[in-house]
Amino acid sequence: MSTRDLVLSALFAAIIVALGILPPITLGFIPVPITAQSMGVMMAGVVLGARRGMVAVLIVWVLVAIGLPVLSGGRGGLAAFAAPTTGFLIGWLFAAFTTGYLSERLVKAEQSGLVQTVGFFLSAMIGGIVVLYAFGIGYLALVSGVNLEQAFVGSMAFVPGDVAKAFVAALVGRAVMVGYPLLPVRA
Amino acid sequence: MDIRFEGAGVSYGARVALAPVTLQLTEKRIGIIGLNGSGKTTFARLINGLTKPSIGRVIVNGRDTADAKAILTDVGFIFQSPQNQIILPVVRDDIAFGLKSHGYKPAEIAAKVEAVLQRFSAAHLADRRAHELSGGELQLAALCSVLATGPDILILDEPTNQLDLKNRSLVQRLVEGLPESAIVISHDLELVADYERVLVFHEGNLIADAPAGEAISRYREIASR
Amino acid sequence: MKSLFVEGNSRMHRVSARAKLLVLAALGVMLFLTANLMLLGLAVLATAAIYFSIGLPARSALARLKPIFLTILIVALFSLAFNPWHVAVVALLRLTALMLFAAAVTATTAIAQFIDEITLLARPLERLGLLRADDVGLAVGLVVRFVPEILDRYRAIREAHAARGLKVRPTTVLVPLIILTLRDADNIAAAIDARGVRRHVN
Repeated sequence: MSTRDLVLSALFAAIIVALGILPPITLGFIPVPITAQSMGVMMAGVVLGARRGMVAVLIVWVLVAIGLPVLSGGRGGLAAFAAPTTGFLIGWLFAAFTTGYLSERLVKAEQSGLVQTVGFFLSAMIGGIVVLYAFGIGYLALVSGVNLEQAFVGSMAFVPGDVAKAFVAALVGRAVMVGYPLLPVRA
Repeated sequence: MDIRFEGAGVSYGARVALAPVTLQLTEKRIGIIGLNGSGKTTFARLINGLTKPSIGRVIVNGRDTADAKAILTDVGFIFQSPQNQIILPVVRDDIAFGLKSHGYKPAEIAAKVEAVLQRFSAAHLADRRAHELSGGELQLAALCSVLATGPDILILDEPTNQLDLKNRSLVQRLVEGLPESAIVISHDLELVADYERVLVFHEGNLIADAPAGEAISRYREIASR
Repeated sequence: MKSLFVEGNSRMHRVSARAKLLVLAALGVMLFLTANLMLLGLAVLATAAIYFSIGLPARSALARLKPIFLTILIVALFSLAFNPWHVAVVALLRLTALMLFAAAVTATTAIAQFIDEITLLARPLERLGLLRADDVGLAVGLVVRFVPEILDRYRAIREAHAARGLKVRPTTVLVPLIILTLRDADNIAAAIDARGVRRHVN
């Protein structure tokens, strides 16, 4: 990996950590404040693409594993990998990769701003919700004594918040692409 | 020090960043001046291999920059932005990291870190967090990190650009006192005012190569057009 | 950023990082091989004994576990509503024991030790050309180094908003935050390359 790519991934990992430290933010259209950290994972994909987005999450995993309280709420350490919700933490990697992978292929420079934003939104939804929840729900069912159906139903309450995050991530992705394009474009 | 440019130039597609240059640098203090975009930074980056020539070659102390990773042990580079050169949270660790990557053993590393801190009277910075340091302190720390591995040539790319007056004088004095050969790119003409040799770049071309007084006059002439 | 490592001289502190990690992994497997309430109950007692013997004052020891234990409890209660009580309790005990031992390992192992272990694990991958083992330490250092700068930048952006009477919206804050931060990447990478720190890379 080139030095530049490593630094980009590390800086984005730092952004994800910072988002966990900052207080939860209120989006206009949702009454409950949401923690921005998981949005950071989607943004890693839309801004950096699949490979670097994935490496950014890997770096965050390492930070958690070595005992730094970088997850929102000051959580960290190996215990964070022993929770019933650990599947979502694991899913971050695949979410960032999928979001990046789709962004690289769906979004093109020649498209209108609206089309690009829609492309990013779809990528963020598929990566940040479909793929992420697959891991989260699967792991939950595996370790917590609930079955798949129950895990699924129990997790659905969080989806609206994550759809809002995907929307914001898409807007951010598009704006960053205009200001400082980094997304590798692949056919 | 023996740096030779043999028709070395840099182009990015159709854009010529630096027209081919042929010269030899051996002086202890060399200044490089010119307007933004004049090619002076490109020129400097050819010396430590950060930029490879698109045409011609650059030989530093007998080694071609195109293939030698070893150039980096001979040539140190100080950048403009104080914050972005200290890459680890604590100054001491940053200095040690460079040494570790060059293959030194822990005992040697500790000794060299102490030595370079003593040299620049920077021991008080050793255990400080980079985030809390001023621009001048960061440049001082960067000097320690870069010189810890013992390069005998130091390139400084506008080292005082982002510093206030007090820190500017500090860095100026430090550079004056360096036993290493120093090549200094600077907008701050005072920094290079008594150098024996100053190169002036303009729009990718080397337009003057003379002692400081003459070169600076030529530069002022160009800049005021 | 304060790490979760706590200085001390307990038995756990003196065991090697590698041994602790191996035991943690083995424990994870074993806990899920049995559904025996007695055994699992004992496991919780044993891991709790270890956790509370490492020297953390009781209040902070409990505070650390709170967010994770809360999740375990909520899921167990949810499970209780739909499944036989046995199933919910087994899950509760398993995850609690694992959490306690994991937290004990984290509190008694220094960051440098962890990084050494990860770097060692990464070396075989280096031969496959997938990554450079030393990049792990560098990446961790870079993050810890630049998180405070990013937080400063965030505050500066918020202040600029306030000064202009603008409402703070995610897009108007996150976009400049990301762009300004990533713009530094080129300079930082140049500084790293100029110091020959990643010598085997082009």
